[in-house]
Amino acid sequence: MTQVATKRWKPTPIEIFIAGLAIFLLAQRWLVGLFQAPVWQAGATVFVAIVVQALPFLVLGVVLSGLITAYVSPAFFERVLPKKPALAVPVAGAAGVLIPGCECASVPVAGGLMAQGVSPAAALAFLLSSPAINPVVIVSTFVAFPNNHMMALARLIASLIAAVLMGWAWLAFGKGEWLRIPQRDHLHGDTKFETFWRTAAHDFLHAGGFLVIGGVTAAILNVVVPPSWLQAVSDRPLLSIVGLSVLAVVLCICSEADAFVAASLTQFSLTARLAFLVVGPMVDIKLVALQAGTFGRQFAARFAPVTFVVAMSVASLVGWWLL
Amino acid sequence: MTRDIGSIIMILIGGALLRITSDDVYLRYVKESLRPWLIASGLILIVLGVLQLVDVWRVARREHADTAALSQADAGAAPHGAPRAAWLLVLPILAIYLIAPPALGAFTAERQSSVTTAPAASAQAPPLPAGDPVVLPLNDYASRAIWDDGKTLVGRNVSMTGFATAAPAGGWYLTRLTLTCCAADATVTKILVLGEDSSSSPQPVPVTNSWVTVIGRWLPGGGIQSETAIAHVQARTVTPVPTPRNPYE
Repeated sequence: MTQVATKRWKPTPIEIFIAGLAIFLLAQRWLVGLFQAPVWQAGATVFVAIVVQALPFLVLGVVLSGLITAYVSPAFFERVLPKKPALAVPVAGAAGVLIPGCECASVPVAGGLMAQGVSPAAALAFLLSSPAINPVVIVSTFVAFPNNHMMALARLIASLIAAVLMGWAWLAFGKGEWLRIPQRDHLHGDTKFETFWRTAAHDFLHAGGFLVIGGVTAAILNVVVPPSWLQAVSDRPLLSIVGLSVLAVVLCICSEADAFVAASLTQFSLTARLAFLVVGPMVDIKLVALQAGTFGRQFAARFAPVTFVVAMSVASLVGWWLL
Repeated sequence: MTRDIGSIIMILIGGALLRITSDDVYLRYVKESLRPWLIASGLILIVLGVLQLVDVWRVARREHADTAALSQADAGAAPHGAPRAAWLLVLPILAIYLIAPPALGAFTAERQSSVTTAPAASAQAPPLPAGDPVVLPLNDYASRAIWDDGKTLVGRNVSMTGFATAAPAGGWYLTRLTLTCCAADATVTKILVLGEDSSSSPQPVPVTNSWVTVIGRWLPGGGIQSETAIAHVQARTVTPVPTPRNPYE
């Protein structure tokens, strides 16, 4: 016979993928039945909610990152940022004011900045500050605390200090091999527009899977951890700061809305709630997962815990001073 | 993950966002104000997916046409696929298309205690709007009852819609969840429903998680000036109703 007959059929990845989707489609009834238990239903709802809530911000972030890569030349950043990284860190941190997004948007943008030659320390300061100090977040904090106008100011100051400290810490102690700077060379297309959409699609697929990891973890904790454990620490000043900082990591609330949640935690001191507002946009499960996806696990495993401690400490000091 | 599968995943996720915003399903997960952003990001993802898919076909055809002519440098610069973690994006796609999990309800409400935040100290509760009965959100009613001694509620018939959950001490609560941002941060308002005798819940007790509209009057009790106080209402009528368009307040 001919060659065609002897050539064994081997499924391509796309065929396996479509077959898999078809199997799930056929098993839909069974799947829905599996999710009848209230705890599974609530978990699935929280998971979908976190992902759906984060997607517009992630898309905004990858679109901005694509625009930076395609249309902003590295020379531009050399011009606007101070030559010395130690000076570039506070400038980049303060530039966080410019992007009205939450933490999901800032990760791909910071990756885009690094790929365009911005020093990692400066890009990291921007990564941490922009979700916490942009105008939308500050205004919503102001509105959420009608009787404590200092809260918005304290949040701005504490977040900026913590972000700049982390940038400098990276300059002093960070090692290049921990950080995987997103590579863009292979994404350059024939036109700027092609570079733009290739970068956006690339960043979305790189970060999206990790967003799902964060969403699953947060959903499990949401339905498993009893809410009452928080009450136990509310009357101890130091423990309550740690307690609310941990809560911020677990809850994964968008920085544009977290002030309203903090306002409802009235059994806690203002300083503990400030810690919640400073830690949340810098370290939460979903964000750490996104960082791991964009900058590598080695990086996230070192950067996130240190950021947590720095953000919590700075918030305590600023709270003690201002609130 | 190959680039063609990445494209299909982006199209499916974008489609999922368009699908839940084409009716009211998205209201189970997020607030109404997010709708335009969900639609915009859904469209962007579909466009990104289609662009990438076309690119994949174009590259494949070019390689097919002139395998020999393709220079080594060109081959090296071709975009590679997405990381394996991108496969996880299948989870929300399956969850949205196949399961479309329902809005949070009694399970979440029974895990949490009712929290009614104190209004701004300077703000006096404004008078109730016109209407007999006046339709009120549960959290507004609770705030007026607990932080304003029910002053604005005296002598008015109110109508409130929520789902039923069991009260630990007997009877049942009219219950509603409030979202700040998305379903992950839902807080709960519970109002104890009492009957004409003002001491026990009216019969028959609605099935847990079923939606009812309660028309009745404010009744003192349940504590005041406390976040965890639970307001009371004396029910004249309890009517089963379909789930409202937006299950949250």
